[in-house]
Amino acid sequence: MTRYLLHRLLHAAATMFAALALIFLALRVLPGSPLLARFGQHAVPAQIAQLMAEQGWDRPLSVQAASLARQILREGDLGESFARSGENVRRELLRRVPATVELTLAALAIALPAGIAAGVVAAVQRGRWPDYLCMAGALLGVSVPVFFLGICLIGLFPGMPTGQRLPPGSGFTATSGFVVVESLLRGRIDLCAAALRHLCLPALALSSIPMAMIARITRSSMLDVLGADYVRTARAKGAAPGRVVLRHALPNAAVPIANMAGFQVGLLLSGAVLTETVFSWPGLGRYLVEGVRQADFPVVQGGALVVAAMFVTLNLLLDLLYAWLDPRIGWE
Amino acid sequence: MLTVRLEPPRQRPAISRRSDPPTPGHPGRRAGRDALCWGWGGLLAALIAAGCGATPGPPANTLIYGRGGDANTLDPIHTDIGEAVKVLVNIYDTLVTYDDETLDLVPALATRWESAEDGLVWTFTLRDDVRFHDGTPLDAQAVVFSLERLIRDAHPDVHDAARPYAPSYRVIQQVRALGTHVVQLQLSSRSAVLLKNLAMFPASIVSPTAVRKYGKLFGQHPVGTGPFRLESWQRDEELVLAAFDDHWRGRPRVERVVFVPIPENAVRAARLRRGEIHIADNLPSSELERLAETRGIVLQSQPGMNVAYLTMQVEKPPLDQRAVRQAIAQAIDKRALVEVAYGGRAQPAVTLVPPTMWGHHDGLEDWPYDPAAARRLLAQAATEGGWSLPLRLQLLVMDQPRPYLQQPLQTAALIKDSLAPLGIEVEIVLSDLNRHFERLMRGEHQLGLAGWSSDNADPDNFLYTLLDEDHIAEIGNNLSRYRHPEVHRLLLAAQVELREEVRRQMYLQAQELIHQDVPVVPLAHTEVRIAQQARLRGYRLHPSSLVRLRLAYFAEPAP
Repeated sequence: MTRYLLHRLLHAAATMFAALALIFLALRVLPGSPLLARFGQHAVPAQIAQLMAEQGWDRPLSVQAASLARQILREGDLGESFARSGENVRRELLRRVPATVELTLAALAIALPAGIAAGVVAAVQRGRWPDYLCMAGALLGVSVPVFFLGICLIGLFPGMPTGQRLPPGSGFTATSGFVVVESLLRGRIDLCAAALRHLCLPALALSSIPMAMIARITRSSMLDVLGADYVRTARAKGAAPGRVVLRHALPNAAVPIANMAGFQVGLLLSGAVLTETVFSWPGLGRYLVEGVRQADFPVVQGGALVVAAMFVTLNLLLDLLYAWLDPRIGWE
Repeated sequence: MLTVRLEPPRQRPAISRRSDPPTPGHPGRRAGRDALCWGWGGLLAALIAAGCGATPGPPANTLIYGRGGDANTLDPIHTDIGEAVKVLVNIYDTLVTYDDETLDLVPALATRWESAEDGLVWTFTLRDDVRFHDGTPLDAQAVVFSLERLIRDAHPDVHDAARPYAPSYRVIQQVRALGTHVVQLQLSSRSAVLLKNLAMFPASIVSPTAVRKYGKLFGQHPVGTGPFRLESWQRDEELVLAAFDDHWRGRPRVERVVFVPIPENAVRAARLRRGEIHIADNLPSSELERLAETRGIVLQSQPGMNVAYLTMQVEKPPLDQRAVRQAIAQAIDKRALVEVAYGGRAQPAVTLVPPTMWGHHDGLEDWPYDPAAARRLLAQAATEGGWSLPLRLQLLVMDQPRPYLQQPLQTAALIKDSLAPLGIEVEIVLSDLNRHFERLMRGEHQLGLAGWSSDNADPDNFLYTLLDEDHIAEIGNNLSRYRHPEVHRLLLAAQVELREEVRRQMYLQAQELIHQDVPVVPLAHTEVRIAQQARLRGYRLHPSSLVRLRLAYFAEPAP
């Protein structure tokens, strides 16, 4: 297993390097000067030239690449935002990633049980109305744009907070970035409850697609398993129907479900841009998109690096999870 | 690599009712799974429980201001972003400022000022009862320090080369302290806009102690003398200002102001309707009309000191022919444009200078909307220029609204449709905002949508900045690349002319010449509109569009 892990870590490093190289090149090939974001309609050519020189963009690409690699590898520094003077990208990412992780976990807390339940019901009731109902719901879940769903939810739940992680002016700053956990640990139950309330609508909106995908994969996976010999045998031996489904069939259908859930987690972690925009959520996706819009190189580079790291880590964890879920899977 | 062994499952199939299930794994694995399920269930239960709780209202006596974006920095010399300016004007004071209701300049940190007869030396006497938020007393040295950060090329306390407004202060050659509370400005030439520029946010007076303490991070820890001090700022989340007890004009009436970025218009409006925020700005007309019918919400509007215009790159044939530009001007129905793209909440523009601004030429008659005459004019221009119709032109458009151009795409579509009957085939090219203006400033366009919002409420800021040959450069604001020696002479002369009436005549004359030459088609002057809770009082939109919240208060027991 150690050899396997080492191999995977090397693979991960190579993937991240490739991702960073691609982003580095793509940003520099794009036309336009990112520095104009700092000047808007008050561009001063002499100042732009000075900034170009300070940032080293008047140097060859290879020199710029070497300088960036040195900066990241040696100092662990992702640089400062161009568009927002004085903003340290690493510090900002450390605040943004927990916001996105909290939102992702909350969305999964809804999507996993609801999706699995819908998939199981649809499989067990195959060809009957609960099946059609669940699958229609799933189809709706993947089809309705999250953006539209978010706006609908805001209208449907007039009593629920519609944005930010805490009520405005709460004065609470989570040093770890994890508001729910940190407020709880610091004994601020009121703030923890408020933070959870603020999570509800964005999480519900964000959960729609993963929920639908999980429901569909659960249904198909369960249909495979429910037709297996051992399930028929269990039924023949008189095992209760619920027990057959939940204890015998469902665990054996878990690997594809975990695969899909893992993939969805990766997507959610890499930035739920629309949800974060609708609900003014200060997460990674919004930060990255704003960075791209303003051609803010350090923000895009730093963000892309974090996203790549999250995907790679998640894939590794998923592989470990498969082996845990299904003992037939081993290491080599 | 992961491998899957092909032998059958290790566990037995279910053949009995014993408690050990035929599932993969041993009891430990099952326990782990159960724990995971319980944990997950707990999180879901917590979310459901939280969802059933009551929503607390906003904190007492706290004004919550909902807007589309966040500030980029709170160091006044390093920004030109409107969202930053909304905060800056509440944190800092300037030497002179606008009256609470009008554009008249009134004393602020300077109690009085006088200029030498030649207009080259200005002396300002400062208030002696002012302190910065960090306790540092305001004195002449602080003013010298603040203005030098703006004008000196290499200042030890400036850590960022981007100072977008520095050219506006280039005329200041030297700043000297003549005592503890007297400051003298030596100018390189007379300036009719000096006082107006000193009232602008880049000339805010900053605490030297704080600038030195925070260094390059001063933009995140701003310290001024303004009515509010920064309490906390979590980017894209909330920016909290607290009332400054020792403000020289008295303590503001609200305890706190929280600026909340809410990028989505519909959500910003919904949150205002629910009472989660007290002010929502930059909403489209459709949202505002709906909000106007909501109980407890009122709208405020103010004629905007801005202009949206169509720039025509006059260096590119056939746009170098005046007749072509005139034909384009005559083909656009500005009244229809105002209805289609502004919901009727704008005024058709005849000249770049807004009607609310001193120096606006209200005697100018616009090119009449006359598609038939335009068609004839264009056909004639084609014959004279030796080219043939149809004419293919690119129209560059930004992908997001600006205060002066709320619906860029609709505006572009209307222009495209207006020019088609003339024989001009317009290709609309959409770019993000920065790239759009970069292309325009580099003169890469043929036609382009652009606009301007007033910086200092002076025609110089519109005419000299947008149409003078001094602003034709590799990256310059004279987007049309328009050159006219007489216009240039008039605009330069007006900058150093201190007699107001003489100066006004110069601007009127310049506007007439520009109008005849049609380097741009002025489209509209947009109204500035906000929606707010009716119980919020004291906050009035200012003609300068500055968001000054010092006088805001809640009419009834705080929400």
